[in-house]
Amino acid sequence: MKQVEDSEILEKFSDVKTRNEAFNLLLNKYQQKIYWHIRRLVIDHDDADDLVQDVFIKVWKNLDSFRSDSQLYTWIYRIATNESITFLNKKKQRNNTPLDEVSDELTETLVASSYFNGDKVQLKLQQALLTLPEKQRLIFNMKYFDELKYEEIAEITGTSVGALKASFHIAVKKIEVFMLNDDITF
Amino acid sequence: MKQDFENDEWMKRARETGFTTPTHYFDELTESINAKITVEKFKAVVQNDGYTVPDNYFEKLQANILAKTTAQIQPETKPKVVRLWKSGIVKYASAACFLLVTGLGLYFNNQQSPTQKTTSADLATEQMLYDIDEQVIIDHISSTDITQPKPAVTDTDLENYILTNYSQNELATSL
Repeated sequence: MKQVEDSEILEKFSDVKTRNEAFNLLLNKYQQKIYWHIRRLVIDHDDADDLVQDVFIKVWKNLDSFRSDSQLYTWIYRIATNESITFLNKKKQRNNTPLDEVSDELTETLVASSYFNGDKVQLKLQQALLTLPEKQRLIFNMKYFDELKYEEIAEITGTSVGALKASFHIAVKKIEVFMLNDDITF
Repeated sequence: MKQDFENDEWMKRARETGFTTPTHYFDELTESINAKITVEKFKAVVQNDGYTVPDNYFEKLQANILAKTTAQIQPETKPKVVRLWKSGIVKYASAACFLLVTGLGLYFNNQQSPTQKTTSADLATEQMLYDIDEQVIIDHISSTDITQPKPAVTDTDLENYILTNYSQNELATSL
C-alpha cells in the first residue's frame, strides 16, 4: 500500500471539507510508529495506550498551526517524546520514587507485563536499556529500533548531532557490558 | 609510532587536495564504527523488542482517537427561541387584556338597539327575497287580492248608533 506523502496530508487538512480524511491518513501512517516509540519509553501497554491517544488529540488540535519548518513526523515524534517524559517524571513524583530506583520499578513492570513475550535475550536487552539515563535510552531507541537519522533525532530532542552520536556510542557500550556480564554472547 | 607517521602522511596529502574534516573526526570515527559493529551483533540476536499488544488493538486505537477528535460534532446551532413571555407578569397581563377585550365585545353586542336588531332582521328578509326568483314574486302578488275588504258597518250607521244610545253629557264627559 502506497504511503501518502506528508504534504498531501497537510494540504487536505487545511481544507475543512477534507480535514477528517486527512487525519485518517495521518493516523494510518503514524499511529503504530508513535505507539511503539511511547511504549518503549513507558513500558506498560495501558500507559502507552493513554499517551498515544493524548498525543494524537494534540496533533488534531494543533496541526492547523504546524509550520513546515520541520518534518511532520519529527513534529509528532517530539510531541510523543515530551508527553512520555512528562508522564515518567509525574510518575516518579507521584510515587516519590528516587531516581535510581526508577529503572527497578520499570523492570518490574516489564517482567510482570502480560504484553511482553520476549525471550531471555530480549528481556536482558530491555533490562539493560532500563539502566540507562532516560535521555540516553530515548536516543538509543530512536536510533536502534526506529532507525531514525541523527539529524532527525536532533530535530526531535533539540540536541546536537555530535552529542547524539556520543550518547549513542556510550549507550551501546553500556548495553554490551551488561549483556556480557549475564553471559549473553554475540 | 609508525602508524602515527603514516596517518600524518595521509593527512598532509589530503590537505594538499583542499579537503578538510570536522574537528576530532577521526577520533570519533573509531567509536562510531565500533558501535555500528556492536549494533549489528545485537540485531543478529535480538530481532525485535519483545513487546506485544492485544488483538486488534490498532484498529480500536484508531476508532478511539477518531471518536475523540473528528467525531466531535459541533453543537448544533439551534434556532434562537425568543420567548414571548419572558416573565410571568407579562404573561398574566396579556391574558387579562384578552379577557377584557372579549368581555367588552360581548357586552356591547348584547347592548345592541332594537332599530339595529330590526335592521338586522330586515336585512335577513331582504336577503331571503333576493334569493327568490322575481317572476315567482310577481305571480304571487297578482294572484292575491290585496284591496282592503269593505267594512260590514258604514260610518253613517255608527254615528246614528252613538247619537241614539248616548246622551250629550255622556259624550262630553268621554271626550
